[in-house]
Amino acid sequence: MLPSGWEVTTAILLAIVSFPVSLVLTRFFMKINAERGIVGIDVHKLNKPKIPEMCGASIPITLILLSTAYVIMGGGNGLVMLAFSLVVGSAAVVGALDDRLKMRGIYKPLLTLLCGIPIVALGLLYPSQVYNPTLQVPIFGSFHLPVIYLLSIPVAISVTSNTTNMLDPLNGTMAGGVAIISAALLIGVLITDPAPSSVFLYASLLFAALGFFYFNRYPSRAFAGNVGQLSVGAALGALAILSRSEIASIVAMFPNIQNSFFFLSKIKRFTEHRSLTAKPTKLLDDGRLASTSDPNAPLTLVRTLLVSRPAKESEIVSTIFTLYLISGVLALITMILIG
Amino acid sequence: MKRLKQRAIVLQLVVFVTQWGLMIIGFGILALFVAPLRIQSDPSLGRYFDAAVKAMIALVLSISWLFIWDRQVRLYFYKKGECAT
Repeated sequence: MLPSGWEVTTAILLAIVSFPVSLVLTRFFMKINAERGIVGIDVHKLNKPKIPEMCGASIPITLILLSTAYVIMGGGNGLVMLAFSLVVGSAAVVGALDDRLKMRGIYKPLLTLLCGIPIVALGLLYPSQVYNPTLQVPIFGSFHLPVIYLLSIPVAISVTSNTTNMLDPLNGTMAGGVAIISAALLIGVLITDPAPSSVFLYASLLFAALGFFYFNRYPSRAFAGNVGQLSVGAALGALAILSRSEIASIVAMFPNIQNSFFFLSKIKRFTEHRSLTAKPTKLLDDGRLASTSDPNAPLTLVRTLLVSRPAKESEIVSTIFTLYLISGVLALITMILIG
Repeated sequence: MKRLKQRAIVLQLVVFVTQWGLMIIGFGILALFVAPLRIQSDPSLGRYFDAAVKAMIALVLSISWLFIWDRQVRLYFYKKGECAT
């Protein structure tokens, strides 16, 4: 039975609350973290300002708070909300640990593999109520993956969380990009299969990301930190599985896939940006960014966009948002083709 | 500067649309030809053997997909040899 329009409207209305909650929490973390010296340097500015770090913690907290409120109000599927909250919460813990302990690059992908376990465990305990191992393919129908799908869940969460973590080199790129992805997938869900839980979670992610983006946009007054980046990426991965939008999510994340693939294919190991000896971009004296001439530097998305000529940071950010819009439209078409 | 930005966006659009089309074809191959395969008839262990073989085929397809992506980006953006490879 299709959900009523009222259920979907309620889900969206409650999700809109994510925006002010995320906004207030981000402001709170900006103040607290600045006082405690939890700051990062904005290396792409000439005056190298110190910006409060780990403010992206506002997003997972908002998502978990709102999911709990939604279940208490009797909306959505409680198991789906529980699985989502556990994945987002555990990824946030991994990110916070990395922010504070500065772990080696290999630990993040390994630890985020564990973040997918709540979906696997709840799926095994409650078959067919958490996820569906039948993959829906555009044009060509679907196919059942009882073994592979289950094993792919931890990998999917690890990949989405780490690829989101890797594409936040400039002010607002992660939060703005995730907002565009969420908006595209939300429209797709509304057009094709408006399950209240999926609508609520995509809308919550969209508005929570926008709340953080208000302070994170160019020029940034708050940095997300790994706590924000990993948890938001894990949220996208979890939503792809829980709302059966796996292939559309891959398409929506094309900019992230390109960035991560070219980074890893060049560097050939999991490493942190701070550990790179050859940086992909350099800051010019006039404040513009340019592609480096170092042959050992990774071919990141930002470097690819800068390869022919230097550009201002704000211009590159707007170009990256345009790329997210393109992949978002392709993801929407994918969802329509799946039906 | 504006033209430069447009050029980068158009080239990335070509890359994304090509990769999107290839991805749909790849999933089509998996759905139509690979998923229905029954290599082992043994119902217990054969199920896992089948799954492993199909996963390997999917892996080969996805590596090919990424290889084409790699070639496209290098061709469109790094063809002058500027700091590529």
